[in-house]
Amino acid sequence: MGIKRLDELTAGMVLASDLVAGDGRLLFKAGTELESRHMELLKRVGIVEADVEAEACELSDSMIVDIEDYVRDFFLYVNPDFDPAIQMFHIALDLTGNAVAGGWCLPSIEERRASDVEHLEDIFLKGMGTPETIVKHETELTSFPDIYFRIKEVLEDESASANQIAKVVSTDMSLAAKLIKLVNSPLYGFPQTIDSISRAVALVGAKELSTLALGISAINYFKDIPSELVDMKTFWRHSITCGIFAKIIAGTQTGLSPERFFIAGLLHDVGRLIMFKKLPYASTEAMLFARENSIPLIEAERSVMDFCHTDISAPLLESWKFPEGLSNMINFHHNPMEFPNPLEPTIVHVADNLTNAVEICQGGMYVLPGIDEEAWEILGIKAEPTLREAVEQYQEQIDIIMSAFF
Amino acid sequence: MGSLFSSSISLRKSVRITDEEFVQLRDFIYEKSGIFVDVKRKYLFESRFSKRLNELGLSSFADYIKYLKFDMKKTAELTTLFEMVTTNETSFCRDMKQLTAFQENVLKEKIDEQRKTGKLELNIWSAGCSSGEEPYTLAILLHETLKMELSRWKITITAVDLSDAMIKKAQAGVYGDYAFKTTPEEIKTKYFKKDPEGWKVKPEVQRLVKFQQMNLNDTVSLKRIARSNIVFCRNVIIYFDEAMKKKVVGSFYDNLMPGGYLMLGHSETLHKISQTFKPVYHPGTIAYKKEG
Repeated sequence: MGIKRLDELTAGMVLASDLVAGDGRLLFKAGTELESRHMELLKRVGIVEADVEAEACELSDSMIVDIEDYVRDFFLYVNPDFDPAIQMFHIALDLTGNAVAGGWCLPSIEERRASDVEHLEDIFLKGMGTPETIVKHETELTSFPDIYFRIKEVLEDESASANQIAKVVSTDMSLAAKLIKLVNSPLYGFPQTIDSISRAVALVGAKELSTLALGISAINYFKDIPSELVDMKTFWRHSITCGIFAKIIAGTQTGLSPERFFIAGLLHDVGRLIMFKKLPYASTEAMLFARENSIPLIEAERSVMDFCHTDISAPLLESWKFPEGLSNMINFHHNPMEFPNPLEPTIVHVADNLTNAVEICQGGMYVLPGIDEEAWEILGIKAEPTLREAVEQYQEQIDIIMSAFF
Repeated sequence: MGSLFSSSISLRKSVRITDEEFVQLRDFIYEKSGIFVDVKRKYLFESRFSKRLNELGLSSFADYIKYLKFDMKKTAELTTLFEMVTTNETSFCRDMKQLTAFQENVLKEKIDEQRKTGKLELNIWSAGCSSGEEPYTLAILLHETLKMELSRWKITITAVDLSDAMIKKAQAGVYGDYAFKTTPEEIKTKYFKKDPEGWKVKPEVQRLVKFQQMNLNDTVSLKRIARSNIVFCRNVIIYFDEAMKKKVVGSFYDNLMPGGYLMLGHSETLHKISQTFKPVYHPGTIAYKKEG
């Protein structure tokens, strides 16, 4: 897709996203083909630019080849004959093609390497910290937000009324505001505006809303990550994207409550945050090692540190007394088949891969970790059209959900 | 979403490797270099090697394995093979904190010792030197530490690497800006000269370093390295499995003079590999000492 100024718009161009007037009124839906009579209207209501789909002729043949090579690099680690991988490849090609047509430049080799982090210092030297001691160091130092435990209490209390839950959540203004934004976002797609927490509890369900609140309050815990290590906005965008996909994929299964999957996706990489805090230098080495060798971050972490981010998330979530089902999804999102009941972690596993695929055109740096073929079978879904439909829904949701958080 | 790409574009571009071929190739690489390739990297290997197979006009991995074992050019091919299995990310003054800790503690201790005995000699072995950034950094550290006194010392930095191409690049001693991303500006201008192709290391640094191609799995060649006061081996053993790590670290131990030190990469550890060294903790690094 690409943003075109009003004077660049011509009849025949197709809108890539909904065209909304300054007053919030929807003028044309995404997918509308512009006609010359529309131009006059756009001018009249003061539209200055529109997001249109790329046309094939906008990219030269050599550019197409470059994009193909660039995108393929992110799939070096996965089985190139496995259907879901092939579908993700084609999705990534289309998204990247659109991004390039819209003015995005493919990052050079240099840009794909990390910046200078020589000033960072690890708290644990090599061989001295186990995942458990590292987590202990963290949890002893910083206390977890009080609101988290109060929500947990009501969540676990079978007799708690919807009213009580609403009351607890409402005590934290910023949390309540985020929740309201979220339940009004396309993540839920309620037709009417929800303006209060008690209304949200009634519509979303007490348990679901508390889970959502729990996950969001956990995020607040991580504020002091050095930005030169990882851009926090990028990190959370990855997490939220994974959450959106996990929720959509969970929706293809029967009997699962999709909210939990959004939260599991949201927090799936929480172990990495502890690594950034405690082992910034080693984390950077792992990131570099992953990029240089075209291997997934998790494997690079194991090479560099002898453990990986899910080894950290396990004791961390345990110390937070995080709900077990959610913890398992997070702790096993790279190896779902090692969990006795693999369906739930599999959903986050697939969502994480799809997230990596859609991030290629946003400057993502890491190869897809690969989908466990046995795990994929459990889902019983067809890669085509499920994955592409999931990406279409994600495109409608991501910006609005991001704005609820940042 | 309209597509700019034909739906017939295939994700697979590489020659398919069978499980059996993968195991053969992996065992061959391990035997020759000590580098262990996990089966999880199978597809990565397919694509990395496919380019080479095409260049050689070979249509299967079985043919490539035959080529590696029996062709007239098999020795030369080994060099190419090694380049495909290792990456060479490095820069000058990488991990400044470790280098500073090394300079202020380990190096100082060794220099003082030698001064006391009146034997102004120092041998350093840089094992896995890649394109030369590490040994040149060490040579620069020695210049910075010894200053005018350096001319009275006999210093040898023996720098070895598996890759012939890397050794050639190291010997040329010319580097682009990327190699200097962690280097203080004054160090760069003091020890490097602007060159049409980048920055060339100055002769006073270069003469301290001797490069040679060497395989750390080749125990016989390793024995020919002069005994060292200090061994540097950073971000190399990360590629090895435990057996090979033990073997290489054992060679370092044998090579070191009593009281000598082994320095590893920032995140590498001898934990689980060797009990013979005594870890000495400094802020920013651990130095492994051979007591004696």
